[in-house]
Amino acid sequence: MSLLSRSASYVRYAVEGELPENFWEFAARRIAEFAFKDIDEGSEERSIGWVSALNMFDSEFAYASYAAGDHIVLSLRIDERRVSPKVLKKFALKEEERIKKERQLPNLARAHRLEIKESVRLMLMHRAAPVPEVYDLCWNLAESSLLFFTTSQKAQELLEESFRETFGLSLILQVPYLTAEKLLPPDRHQALAGLEPTIFI
Amino acid sequence: MDLVDLIEEKKFLGQEFLTWLWFKSEERGGTVFLPEAGEDIQLVFEKHMLLEYGEGENREKLICRGLMTELKEARTGLAMGKKLEQARMLLSRGEYEWNLSFKATLMEFRNVKPPRTMSSAEESNDPDAVEGKLLEHIGLHETLVKTFDQLFRMFLAVRTVPAWEDELARIRRWIGKGDNAIRSTQDGI
Repeated sequence: MSLLSRSASYVRYAVEGELPENFWEFAARRIAEFAFKDIDEGSEERSIGWVSALNMFDSEFAYASYAAGDHIVLSLRIDERRVSPKVLKKFALKEEERIKKERQLPNLARAHRLEIKESVRLMLMHRAAPVPEVYDLCWNLAESSLLFFTTSQKAQELLEESFRETFGLSLILQVPYLTAEKLLPPDRHQALAGLEPTIFI
Repeated sequence: MDLVDLIEEKKFLGQEFLTWLWFKSEERGGTVFLPEAGEDIQLVFEKHMLLEYGEGENREKLICRGLMTELKEARTGLAMGKKLEQARMLLSRGEYEWNLSFKATLMEFRNVKPPRTMSSAEESNDPDAVEGKLLEHIGLHETLVKTFDQLFRMFLAVRTVPAWEDELARIRRWIGKGDNAIRSTQDGI
């Protein structure tokens, strides 16, 4: 469902804020700083960063540049270690049983059980392979607009955060009312604001 | 107003646009004239529609699937006061053709199948060819979004003036026509 695939889903954002002078130099520095860092060999819970839209393993843009005409094309890669709630429950109960047996206790205090659950969660998370998600974006610099190739709300929130951190610019999701404000001349904005829902029957 | 409240309070705007767009596409048998571009485009609603009724927890959904002629059920949904939230359509402009679903509340473009082009078939790892392919895809998606901007501007131009009442009367007649047609079919007339 990406920019280059045969079927794509996307939303549009407006990019708000002034581009700095020497923009391409600034962009190169910031993209490198916030490029994706692999956590396959580590134990971090999550890693978020930029990769090439053409190759999710290319975070140095060696294969292809992120510049395409007057656009910046990037992918936001999110690798996350996840533990299924059922697996967590199973291993936490197993550990509780082991401790009860070892210490010959009939029950464990709630605080102790929570502690066990958290240490089991950390143990399982370290063992889990990070699950990758990759979402493309295409930023039209001339028009200060951006297409983001997913309709996942969680991914959109992560994009808004990562974009602000990387470029110091805000992304505003272009829902109908905000799009309407952009499309209408200012003298019609009051009429737009005063619209009430129509009853079609 | 924050974005979440704005989306909820003004969601009717996107839904009314989509309903108007359906009416507009049927008004001239699938052809819509874009005044600012001075050209006709083809716009045909097809296969899949999602209508909504009510707010929050009381929200009801009606999914209509089928060929174009079977969208009468969706039109009856409109006649019952449901709002069109998502629709699948075919849009042709010039030599290009897109299939897409449009979701009204958040203006989401879903499952967009861009036109096949000459270079789509060519696979090359040459950096210039890769950049060319990227630019072509970007251009096709941006053209689609711009076409929707032009359609939305057309809708807003009539929606924000008193002439909306005349347009609304035409839309109501069109909805009524679909409703009568399905009643006649049910009655075996």
